Amino acid sequence: MDAKTIIDSLVNKFQDSLVDAKVDSDIRVSAYLEPEKIVEVCQYMKDELLFDHLSSETAVDYPKRNEIVVVYHIGSYDHSVLMTIKVKLPRDAPVIESVVPVYWNANWYERETYELFGVKFNNHPDLKPLVLPDELMGDWPLRKDYEGFPNRTARNLV
Amino acid sequence: MDETVGPSEMIVHLGPQHPMQPGPFRLNLKLKGETVVDGDIELGFIHKGIEKILENKTYLQGIPIVDRICYLTAMTNEEAYVGAVEKLADIEVPEKSQYIRVIVEELSRLQSHLLGMGEFGEFIGFVSMFMYTIKEREDILSLMDMVTGARITHTFLRFGGVRDDLPEGFKEKSAAVFASLREQIADYEKLFNHDEIYKLRCFGVGILDSKTARDLGVSGPALRATGVPFDIRKDEPYLVYKDLDFKVCTATDGDIAARINVRLEEMLEAMYIIEQCLDQMPSGPLFFEDSLYGVRTPVMRVPEGDVYHRVEDPRGEMGFYMVSDGSDKPYRVKIRGPVYPTMQALPPLIKGTTIADVAAIAGSMDGCTSEADR
Repeated sequence: MDAKTIIDSLVNKFQDSLVDAKVDSDIRVSAYLEPEKIVEVCQYMKDELLFDHLSSETAVDYPKRNEIVVVYHIGSYDHSVLMTIKVKLPRDAPVIESVVPVYWNANWYERETYELFGVKFNNHPDLKPLVLPDELMGDWPLRKDYEGFPNRTARNLV
Repeated sequence: MDETVGPSEMIVHLGPQHPMQPGPFRLNLKLKGETVVDGDIELGFIHKGIEKILENKTYLQGIPIVDRICYLTAMTNEEAYVGAVEKLADIEVPEKSQYIRVIVEELSRLQSHLLGMGEFGEFIGFVSMFMYTIKEREDILSLMDMVTGARITHTFLRFGGVRDDLPEGFKEKSAAVFASLREQIADYEKLFNHDEIYKLRCFGVGILDSKTARDLGVSGPALRATGVPFDIRKDEPYLVYKDLDFKVCTATDGDIAARINVRLEEMLEAMYIIEQCLDQMPSGPLFFEDSLYGVRTPVMRVPEGDVYHRVEDPRGEMGFYMVSDGSDKPYRVKIRGPVYPTMQALPPLIKGTTIADVAAIAGSMDGCTSEADR
């Protein structure tokens, strides 16, 4: 399965919600997606296009554009094309549907994205902090406006 | 995990400090008698915030930081980081440097597998195994020391090349080390195949079938032991791997013994790869002459964009997602370590086994908490 076929198939199926879908190279494709469609698109990719391996899931903060972009890297064990899906969320209330029902290992990635960026995942089985201490919840350390050292380190909180 | 305990059930905390662990994490187990009913993992005991640190360092300053994600796989971490920057900034690497990179990365794979197996031996109560493998690992580390000048955290790769050429006498020294290691590996195999206790503890225990492994997102030797030939070096060749002859080592059983066998075979393959590299090594410069970059390029601005670059780490798929905003520091770095999903897969894997097998199964997955926490 090559990159062109994959992107064509996705664009055909989800014309209205995919923006800027493009082939970056033989093994990389990327697209922006409307937040409501994420679970549906992931399910379609897993069932029809053999994308059965969620490589990673994370977020990027853009304070100037007032956006948080959630980024999914979805690969496959059977072919070498890797799809990057980006979903733009408003920075003041980032909420998106969880993809754990489709990709089981999204669980920890979503917990981490939640504690570091404050992105809330609906219908996540157990949305609680993973690597941060409880005291740092609500600070969202990987956001660009995080104050950080010296006032908000774990040592000063205990 | 549901914290309520039924009749004759109890919750046992393994860790955060426990001899079976490759680093501090907490494994909460719900037991009924000796059987594990449920389990979950708590992370964060050595969370270093490397992703945030990298945002505040220039690209060149980031190289020693990524070494410290996990010292066992420092070389492949560097490759993932440097490779990602090279893709973003469109930097070409001369063939000679690519060969040297493959050599040091395969050496890194050898020493990681050796230590992983030694630790695993210790977890199943076979403490001498650690003594055997640590000796061989030390020889491999001396080889790496010859090339990079450091035993574990090397800071050896540079954008568009490597820091140094191979030293004189490297080929002869490595031939001697590999001859002894090959003998040792044959010994390990003999040991494993004849030891009754090893057989009882490792064959048919902790079975991961290929469908579950795919669902859990596992990669690396743990996945290949289930029969899925997923190897980034083949599927998405970087450096000169497409010119090299090597096979993807797989097994079919998916149990502890299969995972160990895959690692043993991979070590043989790694040595074979290094020997090919030494034979085929072209002559030429370490950096292209018209390249902007050299051993000490202090500031570099990388064009705007993002890239996801992945390499085959000794434990599986290591990926760096990098976003650049055109300045001399990365805007965002996401490190996708191979151990993270492997550790996440541990609770479902140990469900239904006995508590004595937990350490064996966890050891055979070859985890590294430092990398999972980052």
